[in-house]
Amino acid sequence: MDLSKMPNERKLYLSKWYFISGLAFLPFIWAVNAVWFFNEAFRKPEYAEQKQIRKYVICSAVGALLWLIGLVTWVTIFQINRASWGEFADSISFIIPLGTP
Amino acid sequence: MDHIKLIIILLYACLSIITGNGDRIKDMMFDGIDSSVPCYRRLNATHQIGCSSKRGGSTGVIHFCETIDDLQFILNSGTAGPYIPVLSTKIFSPDIVHNLSYSDKVSGLIVYTNEPVNFFSHDEKCPNNRFSVDGTCKNNGWNPWGTGLLYVDIPFPLFYVENENDTQKIKECFQTFNNFSFDTQKDRSLCSLELESFMFATTNTPTCQRRSNIVTNMNPVKLCDPLGDYNTWASLFPLVEGSDPNTKPINDFEYIIIAARSDTTSLFDKTTGAENPITSMVTLLSTAKLLKEMVGKWNNKIKKNILFILFTGETYDYIGSQRFLYDMELGLFPVDLPKNNTFLPIIYPENISLFIEISQLSYGKDVYVHYLEDNQKTVATFFNIMNSSTDSLFLHLVPNSLPPSSLHTFIRGNNSIQGMVITNHESEYINHYYNSFYDTSENIQYKYQNGSSIPNDSIQGNIGNIVTVLANSLYEEIIGTKYNGTATANLEMIDELFHCYLEDPSCKVHKAIRKVGMGGNILNLYIGVDIQDNILTDLIALTLAWFTGDLIEESGPNCTNIGKSHVFKYYNMSSNMDDLENKSCYRCTLNHTLAISPAFVIPDYDWSSNKYSSWSESAWRTIGVRIFLKPSPAHERSTIAIGSMIMVLAFVLTYFIKSRSNVLFPPEVFNDPPVNC
Repeated sequence: MDLSKMPNERKLYLSKWYFISGLAFLPFIWAVNAVWFFNEAFRKPEYAEQKQIRKYVICSAVGALLWLIGLVTWVTIFQINRASWGEFADSISFIIPLGTP
Repeated sequence: MDHIKLIIILLYACLSIITGNGDRIKDMMFDGIDSSVPCYRRLNATHQIGCSSKRGGSTGVIHFCETIDDLQFILNSGTAGPYIPVLSTKIFSPDIVHNLSYSDKVSGLIVYTNEPVNFFSHDEKCPNNRFSVDGTCKNNGWNPWGTGLLYVDIPFPLFYVENENDTQKIKECFQTFNNFSFDTQKDRSLCSLELESFMFATTNTPTCQRRSNIVTNMNPVKLCDPLGDYNTWASLFPLVEGSDPNTKPINDFEYIIIAARSDTTSLFDKTTGAENPITSMVTLLSTAKLLKEMVGKWNNKIKKNILFILFTGETYDYIGSQRFLYDMELGLFPVDLPKNNTFLPIIYPENISLFIEISQLSYGKDVYVHYLEDNQKTVATFFNIMNSSTDSLFLHLVPNSLPPSSLHTFIRGNNSIQGMVITNHESEYINHYYNSFYDTSENIQYKYQNGSSIPNDSIQGNIGNIVTVLANSLYEEIIGTKYNGTATANLEMIDELFHCYLEDPSCKVHKAIRKVGMGGNILNLYIGVDIQDNILTDLIALTLAWFTGDLIEESGPNCTNIGKSHVFKYYNMSSNMDDLENKSCYRCTLNHTLAISPAFVIPDYDWSSNKYSSWSESAWRTIGVRIFLKPSPAHERSTIAIGSMIMVLAFVLTYFIKSRSNVLFPPEVFNDPPVNC
């Protein structure tokens, strides 16, 4: 899909739906939305739907960022404590590395 | 066309010059050290012990050490690293392993033999102490030469190189490439080793068992297996009367257990076990044979029976005896049947009146009988019988003393069983090589006589004396009268049994019982993991069956268990080891019981209770040692530089070819105009 060939209402529709689908615990879609529509939201000359697109882009970016912080924090905590949590850590693991405590 | 022909001819010419072989470059770079034996990782309820390499193998520069100073030199002033020191067993010690554990200059260790050592035992000073009766290990411990290294978690791979040629290969490579101007070592091409023994399991047995059985795991791998095998037992008289298939259990027997262990271990994956446990095994088997000859057939006046039992896994916290007693207390021995069934009597610990364990023995006339002094009348009585039936041995009674033995398990059971341990030591082992690969035939001064007359003052003669005394005393104990026949221990058979276990598994006895080629490799006496069959267990079992079985008829197709009550086992075996072709059918009371610790059987077993042995062995994929020449850093740098340059060049070239592609491929000219629109 080429955004430059798209009517403005179509852009708004896309951006909105990307934001809504991201609510289903899909932060990567938010990230895509934020990057893809960044130019539309902030760098294009003003047009009627831009304000709304900008709102969706900002919300998506903030959401993706919060997810990123949350995930990094969790992964760090889990990797540091995996060995000491013992049985609980094993039961929430899908892959257990060989030869490590 | 001529060009193509020429190319094909040239290609064939090239192929005929370079003799084609399928070796890959990565394999040609390495040379295997095939006689290397690793140290494994094992785990119990709380710890991991043994060694592991990095994933994919640990590599290091060879440093062949003649003395401790050589090793110290490299630790202090080695410039290239990490190193893999190569040490002789003479200087190898727990202190060295301890020091190297904290050094980042060492990535592995190789041990080899060059001269005899005075002692070499890596078991504890008090073996199996946590599962023994409290207070039985005093002063210096039973094994004063024990270093305990077997139970240390070693953070680098450790290998033993058996073959002298392999040691020589390592040494020569070290002399040629490494052993000069150590200051410039880091700039040179150096001879190196790759040790691979990556172990999957870590932490402890509960952890690795849990991780092996996780349902959510997307990549299920078995990380560790419990140590386990089979205990072997046979009774002197059948447990039933009548003949197959109309047999009836004899329920009123009182039992005497004659026990020995059948396993040993070593820091490395190589065992010999001459004094411990082969002397005990041979004594037990020979006693069974002699006693069988003495007593003949059972009659209903005889109220005592003997169980000959070979426990395995005793080295690792009494696995075999713990499981045996566990089964017995639950009424699962000899089979899982109700108490008053019509097939076999169920034997409980209460039915055992005396437990006699044969422990380490050696050349020497002094024999010590250990027992714990708690109202042990039976032991004292039996000792007196033994003492009165010998003038060739000096028997000593050692009260309030009990060396590590299966008897500990039975004393710690619900019904304490009276028992004694017959051995060659009073307060500490005579054996300087307890549970190591130096416990060889030289350690017990054994020389194979191969049919020629056996001197009385040899290990065979000595074991023979003990067997005769033991069999005579047991005869008196079960029959009630002194034995007045002429049967004595068969020294030739004892000689042959030692030969089988210590030197050649394709010996006459094994041919007589199995008639199959065993190859020349000495049998491994390590218990191994439960999922792998141990050939030694089968051989011992059949030998015991041969010694305690009844010869019932000519050999033939009827000599099978098919269509019988399974109370007996039937085997076609040679009647005599010197006449292998003359076969007969033997009816045997032999059987097996599983020797896997109850800890792995009890559902929801509490590992922290420490009630049963919890040893398991880690799984692994590849194990081996390879030698190779590590290129000098300059060489390595130039290789990567050339590689990078060629890559950049290729990009540039491709770009120019693409941008000027019209030179190579003239643009297509459409002769036909497009179809009219």
